[in-house]
Amino acid sequence: MTRRISRRQALAGIGLAVGSAGCAGRARNLAGREGSSQLVLEIRTTPADEDPNGIRVARALAENLTAVGVDARIETMNGTDLHRTVLLNHDFDVYVGQYTEVLPFDPDVLYGLTHSKFTAEAGWQNPFGLTDLDIDELLDDQRDADGSDRPAIVSDLQESVCEKQPFTVVAFPDALAAARTDRFVGWETEPPISASGLISLDYVGEETEDDDEPVTLRLTTTDGRISENWNPLAVEYRRYGTFMSLLYDRLAIADDGTTVPWLAREWERVDSETIEVELWDSTWHDGEPVTAEDVAFTYAFLRDTAMGSTETPVPAPQFRGRGSIVESTTVVDDSTVRLVVGAADEGVAERALQVPILPEHVWADRAETATVGGFEFDIEATEALVTANEDPVGSGPMRFVESTPDERVVFERNPDHFLVRSGPEDDEDAEDGSTTGIDSEGPSLDPYRGKPDFDRLEVSIVGSDVSAVQWVADGYADGTVSNLGPDSVPRIGRENETRLVSAQSAAFYYVGYNARRAPLSNPRFRGVVASLVDKSALVDDAFSGYARPATSPLAMSPEWVPEALEWDDDREKDPVHPFRGEDGSLDVEATREVLREIGYRFDESDRLLAREQ
Amino acid sequence: MIPPTLVVASTPLIPVVTSVLFWVVAMCLVAGVAVVGPWRLYGVGGNLVPYLRESRREIVALLVVLAVSGIGRPALQSISEVFGLRLTGAIFALEGNFVAWLQGTFQSPQLTLYFSSIYVFGYAFLLIFPFIAYAALPESTMIKRLIVAYTLNYALGLVLYTLVLAYGPRNVMPDAVTSLLYTFNPDFQTLTGQVNVETNVFPSLHTSLSVTVATFAALTHGTYPRWTPVAWWIALSVVVSTMYLGIHWLTDVVFGTALALGCVYLSYQYVDAIEGGEETVEEHPEDDTVEEHPEGESA
Repeated sequence: MTRRISRRQALAGIGLAVGSAGCAGRARNLAGREGSSQLVLEIRTTPADEDPNGIRVARALAENLTAVGVDARIETMNGTDLHRTVLLNHDFDVYVGQYTEVLPFDPDVLYGLTHSKFTAEAGWQNPFGLTDLDIDELLDDQRDADGSDRPAIVSDLQESVCEKQPFTVVAFPDALAAARTDRFVGWETEPPISASGLISLDYVGEETEDDDEPVTLRLTTTDGRISENWNPLAVEYRRYGTFMSLLYDRLAIADDGTTVPWLAREWERVDSETIEVELWDSTWHDGEPVTAEDVAFTYAFLRDTAMGSTETPVPAPQFRGRGSIVESTTVVDDSTVRLVVGAADEGVAERALQVPILPEHVWADRAETATVGGFEFDIEATEALVTANEDPVGSGPMRFVESTPDERVVFERNPDHFLVRSGPEDDEDAEDGSTTGIDSEGPSLDPYRGKPDFDRLEVSIVGSDVSAVQWVADGYADGTVSNLGPDSVPRIGRENETRLVSAQSAAFYYVGYNARRAPLSNPRFRGVVASLVDKSALVDDAFSGYARPATSPLAMSPEWVPEALEWDDDREKDPVHPFRGEDGSLDVEATREVLREIGYRFDESDRLLAREQ
Repeated sequence: MIPPTLVVASTPLIPVVTSVLFWVVAMCLVAGVAVVGPWRLYGVGGNLVPYLRESRREIVALLVVLAVSGIGRPALQSISEVFGLRLTGAIFALEGNFVAWLQGTFQSPQLTLYFSSIYVFGYAFLLIFPFIAYAALPESTMIKRLIVAYTLNYALGLVLYTLVLAYGPRNVMPDAVTSLLYTFNPDFQTLTGQVNVETNVFPSLHTSLSVTVATFAALTHGTYPRWTPVAWWIALSVVVSTMYLGIHWLTDVVFGTALALGCVYLSYQYVDAIEGGEETVEEHPEDDTVEEHPEGESA
């Protein structure tokens, strides 16, 4: 084989070659061609201190990519940074992350994640830059299909998404927590990382002798973002949105596989395209009443946080998919609002109700273009997207008290919240609703009546999952609310007072690909990368068994998953892009052969070549 | 039942700080008697105030740097996140699995106990003791050099931390490198979290400050022959501990050592220049520093 000459050397050679006229044209033809070099893929993820699992997934993938001949590099960055570069700037090749919803969700999640109409937007809407006509069509169809047709469409949709792999679902982790039960019980009813899980905790500690001494729930987390920013739309700072859901009520919440009314006391379909929502009598944390206007404002604001003041809309980077279900809104009276949802299926319409309702009197002023020191930096950012939302005004069961960045944040119970006013479930007065003015038609609220059972909520930020567990073991905290990894789980067992609480979580770990960049723009290439993810081995090693490998992002709602996409525990391999190899060791040659078949080349040292970019 | 202590102390920080203070004071007392000697140690009391007054400019500089690093860190961290060089991948590509090898080969519970204690208690002692030792000397020159070298270490460290954004081995390869310090005692993380950010690994300030002290110990071997081996042993242990515990890369340590040697050299240059300058320019004893000199010599 002839020795390859680099492009720069070749260009230098042209100077000599022009001496002979015939050679000049040849030299230009050769040197003018772009060369190939080894493919470099950077995998972005959070460091182990912040999340013990993601980095382990990234490491295993990098190792297999390297074995195949890719120059795979890992770059760790904190959660804020990761979301900023990936979700907002789309500046990434591959990243390992965790989806944000802890409780099982409707298939319409895929609409926001993969519809091509969102590719130009920043945020959780299609961060992968997938543009696929078939998927678009299926996404639109499942939204409008009626109950009997929808399952078949959702099946096709999942198969199409799994085949094209804009992202690779790795596993659904168990939401693990270390908890003490000497003061609070009920950790196992729902994942403590969900707002409803925290609200439903019961206080069993001593009655405080002194009324001034508030009952405090003390939690530890490794995620310091909640101590810096309280903006429910700031996608860089939000993980599961647990504390945001305590500050900001949604019209409805997910609970045990169903959707239950929350700030909406009830809703009904008034015609084929419209649902009418009746609100509780409620106030914002600053004393202003919560009105139907606020609800209408919120949906308009999610569509365009600039409220028409810029040439192109600036949509919210969170809740965009579900916000887009609501086509328009009509305010009927102060406590009644109509949402036009088109032909949307009931499940889809209920998902539309799960957005945080924002107070118009606070957020309307934030529609202006964001400035720093009077200068406009980016016309695509409004104040609403960049504000830290200090002193957040929500209507939720907790309100903000104080915060020390990266140390701790304190919330207190909102005494005016409808849960408090509705009283505990065994309260006769509340049951018949005569004295409180709150009807008890919605029995679904029952577990939450009179809750939360604590006056204060203190969240301490600690360095790592191991530290978080130790705080609980030593009695400095009642429970952990961030992910625990293989180093911290065994520690829980060694501590007497501390218990391991485990609940299934729908927040799956995944590998996301930037389909805007070659060769990741090629679905076949993404499929090969997906086959390098050994899900069974990862569940055993990275998650110490506290996770379930999966193929479909809807695996936590098995009723939607077609048989072809179910995970077979005996087979231990992905049905669509199976891992090539046995017992965690990759069959490198077989993988290279597949890459050759789909048009990729290797150099003499077995490095995978890619066009220089 | 909640133990009453839980209500009083809401974080493990106070007990950890207390234990560090206890051990550092104890070690300083022992070393003070053994290294400096009771007779010279007695002089510290008389020298301290005049020496501090003489070095006030240097002390102010050190305090300013510490304050900037303490208060300005969140702001600098934000700058680093947006504009800093992300070198985690590059450092890993450069040195590979050295730290994983080190930990995998030598890890034992005894060594973990030893290196964890060295990293927290030994390091604190190593940094504080030279103040006592050099305050006992008849000249303020050494203590001034020490303060200048510390200041330069922190200042240059802060600049590099802002320019470079990198995570340590324990954060990047948790499958191969255990975060031994924090699994040994998670409360240490509450302590280190107060003074450091996890992205500040390049260079290793633990290394650079320890090597700084060790270099000074070598340069003052004639005065404190017993201190040199102690300082070298602890400094070497601190350097190894940063890697053994999975906190720093070998690259951080190499650059930390280079930073230390540079800072010591510059501190000599600086102090020699101002002392020389004072002798030639300020012949009239108007300045406090010049007035104090005879007193210092008599001590």
